[in-house]
Amino acid sequence: MLRFILRRFAYGLITLWVIVSLTFILMHNLPGDPFANSEKLTPEARAILMKTYGLDQPIWIQYGAYVKKVFSLDLGVSFYYPTRSVNEIIAGTFPTSAQLGLFAITIAVIVGLTLGIIAALNHNKSWDYFAMFTAIVGVSVPAFVIGPLLSYYVGVKLGILPPALWKGPEYWVLPTITLSFTTLATMARMMRTSMLDVINQDYIKTAKSKGLSQITIVFKHTIRNAIMPIITILGPLTVNIITGTLVVEQIFAVPGMGKHFVQSISTNDYTMIMGLTIFYSALLILAIIITDILYGIVDPRIRLSKGGK
Amino acid sequence: MNNILEVKDLKVSFHTYAGEIQAVRGVTFNLKKGEALAIVGESGCGKSVTSQAIMRLIATPPGEIKSGSSILFDGKTDIVKLTDKEMESVRGSEMGMIFQDPMTSLNPTMKVGAQITEGLIKHQGLSKQAARERAIEMLRLVGMPNPEARIDQYPHQFSGGMRQRVMIAIALACNPKLLIADEPTTALDVTIQAQIIDLMRDLQEKTGASIIIITHDLGVVADIAQRVVVMYAGKVVEQGSVDDIFYNPQHPYTWGLLRSVPRLDNDEKEPLVPIEGTPPDLFAPPKGCAFAARCPYAMEICLESDPEIENVSAGHSAACWLLHPNAPKVERPVEVGGHHNG
Repeated sequence: MLRFILRRFAYGLITLWVIVSLTFILMHNLPGDPFANSEKLTPEARAILMKTYGLDQPIWIQYGAYVKKVFSLDLGVSFYYPTRSVNEIIAGTFPTSAQLGLFAITIAVIVGLTLGIIAALNHNKSWDYFAMFTAIVGVSVPAFVIGPLLSYYVGVKLGILPPALWKGPEYWVLPTITLSFTTLATMARMMRTSMLDVINQDYIKTAKSKGLSQITIVFKHTIRNAIMPIITILGPLTVNIITGTLVVEQIFAVPGMGKHFVQSISTNDYTMIMGLTIFYSALLILAIIITDILYGIVDPRIRLSKGGK
Repeated sequence: MNNILEVKDLKVSFHTYAGEIQAVRGVTFNLKKGEALAIVGESGCGKSVTSQAIMRLIATPPGEIKSGSSILFDGKTDIVKLTDKEMESVRGSEMGMIFQDPMTSLNPTMKVGAQITEGLIKHQGLSKQAARERAIEMLRLVGMPNPEARIDQYPHQFSGGMRQRVMIAIALACNPKLLIADEPTTALDVTIQAQIIDLMRDLQEKTGASIIIITHDLGVVADIAQRVVVMYAGKVVEQGSVDDIFYNPQHPYTWGLLRSVPRLDNDEKEPLVPIEGTPPDLFAPPKGCAFAARCPYAMEICLESDPEIENVSAGHSAACWLLHPNAPKVERPVEVGGHHNG
């Protein structure tokens, strides 16, 4: 098991290196540079800036220097916020995004799976229709519709909860609901499909023929086999949601990471683009490794210790 | 009371978008204590549905056991009338079931030990440890080598034959009075088939359980059963002892089944003899004999009305107009033991 994990980490590092290289090349092929938008700069000042940041060097030298820095865990200084390093920006905004994201994913998993299970157990009855109606609404109504509606009606009109900002538990509710909605709907639909598939398996009939109660069958036999597809998507989904989403964070004025993803591209903030990409990729690779380990725990057929069948 | 099971006029339908499928249309048979009964017939004749109705494993809806049906178990309880809760205490403890495909009928994410002990803990109130010991004993009984180690393994670590042995251990764990085996050897290769049948016969002798074995393999019937029920299109067309069915079959469908078995003792290369045609549509079963359309001896009356069940001798009956006193005499195309005539 330990050997497997170590090997996966080594592969993860290689993957990360490939991602770093590709992003670096792609980014430098974008038109413009970090200082192209500042019209007030004289050509001389621009040249000095380019030199300071090493942007006048040939690209492979820049690449070499960057990779060296990255492997010493230094993501460099932002071009857009010259007084702050990328490490600082991530450290300052990620905890907020992660907190919001973790709330949202927790709600999505609990409510989504419950809805999916209830729907499957009441296949083609009113509970099923209710759950699937909720799921379809959740998938098709985007966060930028749900968010402002919640913020306006619950936050402003009813005044029960604060409509925006991120200062304490009562501020967490509306953004969490908004962010969890789509994921919740996806989970519910997936779990329902998967449950229906498992319910029709022969081994469920075997369980029934042993005289087990409906509840025992659902909890001991059905759910555990039905949850595999959920585990598959859970890793990437979690990473996606905890690294911040532009829309929800903008609507509720949450000081998260989401906006930096967009801003860094539009301002050609090289170090920021690279830093966020590396951070995101590293989390994703970690999530996939965890997913693989979880597979083995849930499904004995995918036990990894024995040569990784 | 000598009968462990009395099935009377069992009717099962499935309600689908296309209409009502009458899968079982009035099946009556008895099973004596300690007896092995085979239900034979081609795919879709209702034999699996019958067996699942006995264990009340038919999902309702879409399935429905029609009123008027009765399944008297152990002389007292009518299975059809039990509540779901009452049925749970019968399933697994009084009757056990083995399914067709051992590759899919065990839960892949549970150790086989846990799958055997589940029922024991529920029905017999055994402690975990006691149930485990009983499970090991069961595995040894079904011929599993090294049961102490294998009890902690998962189904994917077993071969098909070994998995079927585990299934048998599960079904017999609580010493049921009735064991239903739904095509237990169909998914296995031939040498393993023989082992499983031997094992079942052996266990029947040891435990005294009654067995219903569903099959379309007449070899299996000859090996294990004492009595045979032949089903066609949701009805019993003939039933009797193994000797009656093999040596004195009365129904043209039974003749067809016997003729379709390839023979080892024939030197000449002989083509297989199929029963021509397909079974009727059970959305709208014919008003006459369901087999008439495929029967080489069909008469006018066969298309008009369904034949009553006629007793041929004690315990041997068939539903065919040929048994009517006014019917023309037809020479049976199968000899004793299934030799072809001519």
